Amino acid sequence: MPDAAHIVIDRVSHEYRPARRRPVLALDDVSLAVGEREFLALLGPSGCGKSTLLYLVGGFLPVEQGAIRVEGRAVDGPGPDRGIVFQHFALFPWKTVMQNVLYGLEKKGLPREERLRVAREFIELVGLAGFEDSYPAQLSGGMKQRAAIARTLAIDPSILLMDEPFGALDAQTRSLMQAELLRIWQRSRKTVIFVTHDVQEAVFLAERIAVMSARPGHIKEIVEARFDRANPELLRSRQFVEMVDHVWNLVRGEAILAERSGAA
Amino acid sequence: MTSETVRVTSGTGIANRIPAVVPRYLPLLLLALGWEALTRTGLVPTSALPPLDTVARAWYELASSGDLWTNGVASMTRGAAGLGLAIAGGSLIGILMAWYKPVRAAVNPIVQFFYPMPKSALIPVMVLWLGFGDASKVVLIFVGCLLPVTLAAFNGARGTDEVLIWSARSLGASRARVLWEIVLPSALPEMLSGIRTALALSFVLLVSSELIVARQGFGYMIGWLGDGGAYDAMFAVVLTVALLGFAADRLYLMLVRRILAWRE
Amino acid sequence: MSEIETRFLAPPAATGIRLDLTGAVTRRAGAIVPLLAVIVAWEAASRSGIVTPFLLPPISAVLGRVWEDAISGELALNLGQTLFRSLAGFAIAGAGGVALGILMARRRWVRWFFDPIVSVGFPMPKIAFLPIFMLWLGLYDVSKISMAVFNAIFPVITATIAAAEGVDRPLLWSARSLGASERQLLREIILPAALPQILTGLQVALPISMIVMIVTEMMMGGQGLGGAMIAASRFADSPGVFAGIVEIAVAGLCLVKGIALLRGRLLAWHQETQEPTTV
Repeated sequence: MPDAAHIVIDRVSHEYRPARRRPVLALDDVSLAVGEREFLALLGPSGCGKSTLLYLVGGFLPVEQGAIRVEGRAVDGPGPDRGIVFQHFALFPWKTVMQNVLYGLEKKGLPREERLRVAREFIELVGLAGFEDSYPAQLSGGMKQRAAIARTLAIDPSILLMDEPFGALDAQTRSLMQAELLRIWQRSRKTVIFVTHDVQEAVFLAERIAVMSARPGHIKEIVEARFDRANPELLRSRQFVEMVDHVWNLVRGEAILAERSGAA
Repeated sequence: MTSETVRVTSGTGIANRIPAVVPRYLPLLLLALGWEALTRTGLVPTSALPPLDTVARAWYELASSGDLWTNGVASMTRGAAGLGLAIAGGSLIGILMAWYKPVRAAVNPIVQFFYPMPKSALIPVMVLWLGFGDASKVVLIFVGCLLPVTLAAFNGARGTDEVLIWSARSLGASRARVLWEIVLPSALPEMLSGIRTALALSFVLLVSSELIVARQGFGYMIGWLGDGGAYDAMFAVVLTVALLGFAADRLYLMLVRRILAWRE
Repeated sequence: MSEIETRFLAPPAATGIRLDLTGAVTRRAGAIVPLLAVIVAWEAASRSGIVTPFLLPPISAVLGRVWEDAISGELALNLGQTLFRSLAGFAIAGAGGVALGILMARRRWVRWFFDPIVSVGFPMPKIAFLPIFMLWLGLYDVSKISMAVFNAIFPVITATIAAAEGVDRPLLWSARSLGASERQLLREIILPAALPQILTGLQVALPISMIVMIVTEMMMGGQGLGGAMIAASRFADSPGVFAGIVEIAVAGLCLVKGIALLRGRLLAWHQETQEPTTV
């Protein structure tokens, strides 16, 4: 268990009730604690409810069964303490990169000079200097995600929620962005919940990996993955490869189950 | 309540549809009651708004005397003939435009130039050319509806996924078969939506031209009943036409859903 | 080779949005040829005597008539009246339709009340209500503009509802998590995100407003292009009728192109190639 629990998920279940169809139990009695400044990955097959869990922590969906507490307070709606990055970027397409990053800073009520300074700082941090006045449609996928990350980081949330943020990127861009994210995280040290279905990505990024089962989702096992991530040879190290193998075996059975229930 | 505005409720059994339909259309009933109340209390003079029950009585008289029927048949025959010709001609031209470049080069500028023209301007020309009878209405509707269908068929056929064409060709289909078996079905959704626009337009052109110059038909009836001060009967015919237009649209949507069943 | 095959074999740049000016110019020039052919065929048909000049006056005579109308000030007067009324009706329908559409998307009871009215009213041939509008509101601007509003508002409402409800959830959630209030969400996220579809609704509404205005003017008489045309047809003045057609066609073309241009301006950030289907 990490030093102090920043986020506590306490026996949470969640049911989707689509119109004119039978309700679906997405999460079944999930409990999990995430420590301050910890990088936790939520790993599972598609449809296992990992994104639902993230949205509950974000306050986008109402917690109906169980409780979620952030810094001891029950989650009640979205807030600037929990920044989120989505798979499809969710940049405001009618705003430039700069205007996107400024949006949250305006809501925070910072003075104009300060807003511009902070926005520039974060655009530079994610490596988008020179693209401040580009519209999202003019950027590549990787650049869009950098802009979205800058927008979220700029309001300085203590928690970073990431919903398969690199899932829409090609393989090369993805591994670049992973390294980039680690670099940023090591500098700003936020509590991160990172949703993914990519085993290697989870092992490479996260300190702990919560492996989820197929629907209805619950935590199947929590794996510690503490490596020296500064090591350039890490991906080829025996430790790393064995860990990937171990986690992969945990997920494999669930993926097959998920595939079958998806087909049914 | 998650009701749709344009689509119809797609419930299957009639039994489970009735309870949903009643509260859904309750506001229309309220509107009708408001109408009746306004005229009954004398807030609105009956010369401006005849009470709903006198309208119903006038409708019954028109229906039993056969006036409504003969004029209705005249109108609907004109509409169907004009629209049918437009659908046949427009689909043919549109697909040829997409398939043969010379056709496209020759026809497209003309389509693009005349497409935005307010089609009702053609009414006096049709009278000039074809007189007051059926022919002027049929041709008006044909000409008016031709371009929406043509453009929809053209856009639909043009949007055919090239990979599908390649697959069919590589599986040994001739060009004619590709046109019939690949391009036409691919163009169908857009064509059908263009035809829906044309259906609505055909009613507008039909009623307009009959209102302005005719010796028979719904529009003609509305005109002379209004001129003669028989407002209850005029309201009866107006509502009949409006409901027919609505019913035609709903029937068409049901047909489209059946034709496009493969899409779901 | 078929159009579809050529398109696929061409380099990708040629199938996307063309920005090169030379390409646009050659396309324009090529487009003139078929239109010229139509004009020449028209002129030839009426001069050769295949059709009588009454049925189809030569286009030179028709354009001469347009010119005469322009000199005498008749054209400006009629065109001004028609445009003023169509655009007034369009503007009211646009503002009202967007407001009602947003309210319907966001307020449950508004939705409950108006939903059946809109879904029945949308496909109805509302032009049939014209004599009722004449009865209630008379024969002048109020009645004509109201008729245009009544016809043009429905596509705006339905487009606005669909747009406001279709806003991407992550977009809304992002704004909320960045600190936007409910009210800011509407103004800063929902409206701009819905703008493309709302504009599509407006692009459908504008020609409807024109079509209805022409019919209304033909029915009610008075000034305006529709009124002038019906007067010409009563006096068997066939060049007058065709001059009316040419004037209305050009006015319609300019309005439709104008709103498409405006769309391009407003949606510079938006990636799209397809134009909406209008009547």
